Amino acid sequence: MKFIHLNHEKNTDITLTEPGKYVAFMKNISGEFIFHMEAEKIDLEIYGVFDGKNQDDFRIHTVQHHAAPNSISNLLIKGVFDDESKFHYTGLVKIDKNAQGSHAYQKNQNLILSPAVFVESEPFLEIEANEVFCTHGSTTGKLNEDDIYYLRSRGISDGDSRKLLVDGFLDEILHKLKSEHNTTI
Amino acid sequence: MQTPQDDLQFDYKYGFSKPENYSFKAEKGLNEEIVRNISKRKNEPAWMTEFRVKAYKIFLEKKMPDWGGDLSKINFDSYYYYIKPVKDRANAWTDLPDEIKDTYDKIGIPEAEKKFLSGVSAQYESEVVYESVTKLLTEQGVIFMDCDSGLKKHPEIFKKYFSTVIPPHDNKFAALNSAVWSGGSFVYVPKGVHVKLPLQAYFRINAQNVGQFERTLIIAEEGSYVHYIEGCTAPIYQTGEDSLHSAVVEIIVKKGARVRYTTVQNWSNNVYNLVTKRTRVEEKGFMEWIDCNIGSQLTMKYPSCYLMGDGARGEVLSIAFAGKGQHQDAGAKMFHFAPNTSSRIVSKSISKDGGRTSYRGLVQVRPGAKNSSVYVSCDALILDPQSRSDTYPYMKIKESDTNVQHEATVEKLGEEKIFYLMARGISKGEAEGMLVNGFIEPIAREIPLEYSIELNRLINLEMAGSVG
Repeated sequence: MKFIHLNHEKNTDITLTEPGKYVAFMKNISGEFIFHMEAEKIDLEIYGVFDGKNQDDFRIHTVQHHAAPNSISNLLIKGVFDDESKFHYTGLVKIDKNAQGSHAYQKNQNLILSPAVFVESEPFLEIEANEVFCTHGSTTGKLNEDDIYYLRSRGISDGDSRKLLVDGFLDEILHKLKSEHNTTI
Repeated sequence: MQTPQDDLQFDYKYGFSKPENYSFKAEKGLNEEIVRNISKRKNEPAWMTEFRVKAYKIFLEKKMPDWGGDLSKINFDSYYYYIKPVKDRANAWTDLPDEIKDTYDKIGIPEAEKKFLSGVSAQYESEVVYESVTKLLTEQGVIFMDCDSGLKKHPEIFKKYFSTVIPPHDNKFAALNSAVWSGGSFVYVPKGVHVKLPLQAYFRINAQNVGQFERTLIIAEEGSYVHYIEGCTAPIYQTGEDSLHSAVVEIIVKKGARVRYTTVQNWSNNVYNLVTKRTRVEEKGFMEWIDCNIGSQLTMKYPSCYLMGDGARGEVLSIAFAGKGQHQDAGAKMFHFAPNTSSRIVSKSISKDGGRTSYRGLVQVRPGAKNSSVYVSCDALILDPQSRSDTYPYMKIKESDTNVQHEATVEKLGEEKIFYLMARGISKGEAEGMLVNGFIEPIAREIPLEYSIELNRLINLEMAGSVG
């Protein structure tokens, strides 16, 4: 497995030419993160964690470009936005005509904690092959009041309940990296 | 691997063209004089003439959209902008000229009329030539007539709402429509009135290079209900020249009212279908768009709801089918301006034989739209390696107390499902037709039976080259 910490890479327009497992990670960063998958049997996972506060303004653009057949890409970006923070996400899954057998997944989940937050999510798909399976999903919303109620009924304060839920939301990615790839950020 | 089927060689059922017989035909192309002439020939009030001229100037200023489908081949000078089909309006079916009747017979209007006594308004070329409104509707105070008559007979209502939902500035094609509009429907449903049977209108393009620019205005007063159906089929021309259809549909849904607008669009493959459709939904109102796009060479259409009042709801159910040489760029727009508003978009698209489908959607949650919810689901089927599918959702969220969900999938027809059906003695083409019909069924069941049967047949035709 090759681990790519995008916060530490100078060039984030990345071309993968060898099969194998790749894991890319980004946190609280703006920029363009482009992956050209030019070999078969690439298994690429891309994770992003965003924790917006005050006047933070994150703008990111991701591209999962399948230029060869039979590769997999899986993107998950989770963000929590408080105060007057802004998040602008545009993502593209592009599958070329010859990239039959591609699997591509793209997911963006956002939690909004303050009324002054602005979130923009534009996950695009451009698919030119037919033997593919692609899904994308995007959710943006507030903390679930039922979840908070449940925790409070167990004697946890309102503030602690919210913190627990927010931490749990973001921990999904860190937990994945640790348990599946034995990587700690 | 799936083997792509041969090009479909079936005769296009509605691809017949009748000799032209028009009492007045404008010259090709567009200038201010033609715009004034259209208004003059229609005996319109001065404010409408000025509105058209102003819109024409906006049309000249506005840029062509540089996103979506390929519009580079459109030559605005090659179209006729106004054609009047017969000297006077026919009052009864028997008064219609034979060739027009014949054309309608082939689409099945008489049956439609028998089945839906509610009212038939059929547009042949640029003006409504046949119109029958049942006594019941008139007694209920419902107005259902072509838009030109609406302007003359109900000027107060017309002027109050016309162009308030879609101003000419909105986009180049809305400006063009505003300058040269002709025909379309004018519907007014008074407070509390429920129109039980759907109102329907058919549109056809017949003369070569006729641009059809109908304008529809629907007003549903407080607590009322109406279902409006628009179905289109158009003849294919041998010359391969293109034609332009650019309609504007404005709907106002007042407090607690509900409007359902169903479209079955099956223009022939030389038509550019560039349509602006929008609804303003007030408190607790409910707007449903059911939009089926099967025909045309390029469709760009995004029915939208402006949810302005507390508790307003909007829904778009959309089916797109793109075959050889077709691009369906369709979707929906939802704007949440008020608290407790909710919207739902469900889109199903199928591309085949090199066709391209694009879902393009915009969801905006404005500050103050508390406790609002948005659900968007897009599923696409790609049937062969030549075809293409895109998904372009835009979500802009400026409110924390909201819940926005979007999901999309793109896949091919399940080989196991086809194998299962073939093992039961069903041919491959039929099996694919069944699966595609199953795929769109959640939306197809929302449209009236005879339309869903027609849709089902069209899909089978496109899939296997034969009907059932």
